[in-house]
Amino acid sequence: MNRFILALRLLLRDGRSGELTILVLALIIAVTSSTAISLFADRLHRTMSTQAADFLAADLVITSPALIPEYWLSKAKNVLLDQARTAEFSTVLIENDELLLAGVKAVSSKYPLRGYLKTIKTDYSKETIRHHGPTQGEAWVDKRVLSALELKIGDDLVVGEKTLKISQLITYEPDKRGDLYSFSPRVMINEADLQATQVLQPGSHVHYFFQFSGSAQALSQFNHWIKPQLNASQRLMDIREDRPELGNALNRAERYLGLSSIVVILIAGVAIAMSTRRYSERHFDATAILRCLGCKQSEILWLYIYQFIVLGVVASVLGILFGWFAQETLFHLLKDLLPAKVASPGFMAVMLGFFTGLAILFGFALPPLFRLKKVSPLRVLRRELDPTPPSAWLVYSLALSLIALLIWRYTQDFAMTGTIIGGGLIITLLAGTLIYLFLYQSRKILPYMRLSWRFGLQGLLRNPRASVSQILAFSLTLLAMILSYTVRTDLLDDWQKQLPENAPNHFVLNVMPQQVNPFKQQLVQQKISNPRFYPVVRGRLVKINDIAVQQIVSKDSQGERAIHRDLSLTWAEELPKDNKTVAGRWDVTEKGQVSIEQKLAKSLQVGLGDKLTFTLGSQSVDATVSHIRTVQWDTMKPNFYMVFTPGTLSGYATTYLTSFHLAEENKHFLNSLVKKYPSITILEVDMILKQFKTILTQLTAAINYLLYFALLAGFTVLFAAVYSTLDNRIFEGTLMRTLGANRSLLKKAHLIEFSLLGLISGFIAVLMSEAMIFALYTYVLHLQYQLNGMLWLGVPLISTFCITLAGYWGVRGVVNKPPMQVFREF
Amino acid sequence: MSQTHKNIIETKNLGKTVPTTDGPLCILSSVDLLIKPGESIAVVGASGSGKSTLLGLLAGLDTPTQGFIKLNGVDLTTVGEDGRAELRNQFVGFVFQSFQLLSGLTALENVMLPLELRGDKNAKVSATQLLERVGLSHRLTHTPMKLSGGEQQRVALARAFVTEPAILFADEPTGNLDSKTGDYIIDLLFQLNQEKKTTLVLVTHDNALATRCQRTIKLEAGRQA
Repeated sequence: MNRFILALRLLLRDGRSGELTILVLALIIAVTSSTAISLFADRLHRTMSTQAADFLAADLVITSPALIPEYWLSKAKNVLLDQARTAEFSTVLIENDELLLAGVKAVSSKYPLRGYLKTIKTDYSKETIRHHGPTQGEAWVDKRVLSALELKIGDDLVVGEKTLKISQLITYEPDKRGDLYSFSPRVMINEADLQATQVLQPGSHVHYFFQFSGSAQALSQFNHWIKPQLNASQRLMDIREDRPELGNALNRAERYLGLSSIVVILIAGVAIAMSTRRYSERHFDATAILRCLGCKQSEILWLYIYQFIVLGVVASVLGILFGWFAQETLFHLLKDLLPAKVASPGFMAVMLGFFTGLAILFGFALPPLFRLKKVSPLRVLRRELDPTPPSAWLVYSLALSLIALLIWRYTQDFAMTGTIIGGGLIITLLAGTLIYLFLYQSRKILPYMRLSWRFGLQGLLRNPRASVSQILAFSLTLLAMILSYTVRTDLLDDWQKQLPENAPNHFVLNVMPQQVNPFKQQLVQQKISNPRFYPVVRGRLVKINDIAVQQIVSKDSQGERAIHRDLSLTWAEELPKDNKTVAGRWDVTEKGQVSIEQKLAKSLQVGLGDKLTFTLGSQSVDATVSHIRTVQWDTMKPNFYMVFTPGTLSGYATTYLTSFHLAEENKHFLNSLVKKYPSITILEVDMILKQFKTILTQLTAAINYLLYFALLAGFTVLFAAVYSTLDNRIFEGTLMRTLGANRSLLKKAHLIEFSLLGLISGFIAVLMSEAMIFALYTYVLHLQYQLNGMLWLGVPLISTFCITLAGYWGVRGVVNKPPMQVFREF
Repeated sequence: MSQTHKNIIETKNLGKTVPTTDGPLCILSSVDLLIKPGESIAVVGASGSGKSTLLGLLAGLDTPTQGFIKLNGVDLTTVGEDGRAELRNQFVGFVFQSFQLLSGLTALENVMLPLELRGDKNAKVSATQLLERVGLSHRLTHTPMKLSGGEQQRVALARAFVTEPAILFADEPTGNLDSKTGDYIIDLLFQLNQEKKTTLVLVTHDNALATRCQRTIKLEAGRQA
């Protein structure tokens, strides 16, 4: 206890003398950053998950082609889950001698359990948010229903045998899905009117969605209970599977959040390591006196550890407060972009920020502290006796273990963590060697340089090991900032490319072969250029290597769902550009070959050379798997699980599929298409696309703010880190002044030294970042890697400017204060 | 204070050799000493004669490469660094040429420090009294930077005597001071030494100062002359 109180006193005295300022600042930055990001990421994740639930209009949904047993619903009620139900089916509407295939959705009174609907009364009225569907006797419809059937708001609409009044136009439907019922123009009615329509008869094609919401515990309990009871035609929906375009965006955004956390923590770690090093060097004398006065080595270490614990707790508490305000500010700034209801901050996220702060402190601060333990008491007589530096093993293994732990936390992948750490280590070692060689070689040109240049360069050469570690520390900080910036820019670019302004927002199915050419012409007249038509043959996979598929695939798998419905099969000379080959070769000259999507192949346990048998109507066709590929589901372009080589499917009933972009104001064009080609089905995905774009805009804004935060932390740390290396420079500069060096010479020498430090750090950082980004893009984010010329120019310039500014500002005292005063301050 | 032995310091064949790039270098050899409690000893010699090395060894700040040192009966070569630290804490006080005060601490806090390390609850009172004794009652809250060299050395004297050590090691205590201030500090050192009945080992190159001690040990090129 005595030692603890003594440690507290020493800490207070140190604090009063300003010895702790840089260290405390670095620690506060670390904890503020980790808390802010941890809180922000957690809240954003939960908000997005809630919003993801909005896209299902519930937390949990069971889809079924028939009603589910009553006792399932009773069980849900028993565990206190709220319930709603929708039934979706297609029906033909006839009004004013016009026909329209509409997707009818009958909703119960509690629909939607999550999210909301948006409606308008007229074209020019403001959207109204609604937390319920139409009441009995009402119908809410898509705008195109009115134009196609020549109706207006307030008119009657007959659905089957029931006459309903059109009261609202639907502009947003949370759980609009990519199936036929959702993409046909919507007519939403109340469930109470469903029976009166008499559309649903035994054997009718209908999809029921049983929706549930409630506490996480109740949902989990119900989920576990219901899962084993589902039959082959029923399944639980999952946002990441059922809305792959959103799932993918969310996954990438989450990975970016993870990356940002690692980046900021790494930056803070570098700052703490550097400032603790300075702290320990400035405490050599004091420690020697303490040793002289009888302090044992272990007591010395504990004295400092106690101080650091107290320091860590105080700085962490402050950091948590700042972090809290930072993320609140972030959410405040984003309030127009984020959903109206944002998840509240989680206690665990705060604790995580706190413990991350302490972990960074000790991971990066312990090695320099261990050095204090080794201070010899003889230093009181011989000041030049410095303790031996801690072993490289200790310094790096502690920090590396910590970083590895953090990376593993975000990737949950041992192999990837190992690759990142191993790769990072090799790059750092290579960079260190490169810097050392550069410094070693530059000794040779020293004699030929002017005095100021010689003094400047000598500043770096005097202690090459220290210079290498300083340059590496600056480079790592810059590297972290570059990574954050580049990944974010490319991620946003990739999203932008994925969804360009004129991304297809309408799909047309069932175009007959003889209609393809006139249809194409009509599209061209509408200024839709070069529309591509894909042949489609409906077929069902029945056998794999002559064994019935039911015996092969597991229940609830993607493969299991694929074998219970007809698949859209196509053939092509050329595969879509965004499809990537995983295995095999796409040889269009060979008939009877099929290319299969990678995940489905895995689920069906199908590999190259396997024989697949499909039934097409009453006939069957065999094909050999010769190619396996990935498919970009989030591109909003037509995608196929199975692509056959040309000729394999010839002779079977074929229709064509196309997609195109149509602006909102040209929607009436669809009516003329339907009139001319009554057999076609138009899927309107413009609304879903709009929804997706909104999400991406929100994520983009969030990611931008995270980047600014990481950059801010980076620059602050860079300045703090430069400051923590100035003691020797100030001392030696003062010594030079006492020996007669004039101010201008010292100024020049300092400018040269810091510029060189900044320039080399900048180049090394870009070199390291290019290597890291290449690995990250190729193996983790699956983005296209490109060498970035701007980085090679911009980063060395920025780092030279910042490090020179910080360094020059820090040593200005040498030229402005009397030398005696500077010496006394040491 | 624990039991005092007949000889508070005893060395036999004491020596120190350090490795250099040109091979081992002997900086002290064959020093035999017997110092009784309360005695004052001056260690004199030219620069590089091994004075500071001997002081470091006697105080247990360094370890010899030959011979032994007994401090109050305990052979320092048989105890580890922690054992030596404990002995320093119990028996030893120091005064250095460069004062060695902690720059972040006030004069009072510097003097309190060795008492705090012992867990002494009256640290503040004792430290204040001793600072008053050395004439610095008006400087208690000043940090070393705000004190003159003479004042700093007076704080160092107060710190050295506050634990009432059995032995005081002083390494060129006036080396950084002008002669007038130096004389004042030496007077104070000897006064306190007599008051507290401390054994004094004083390293100096000043022969006049050495004559104020009861005995002088002269070193030449690392050997006792």
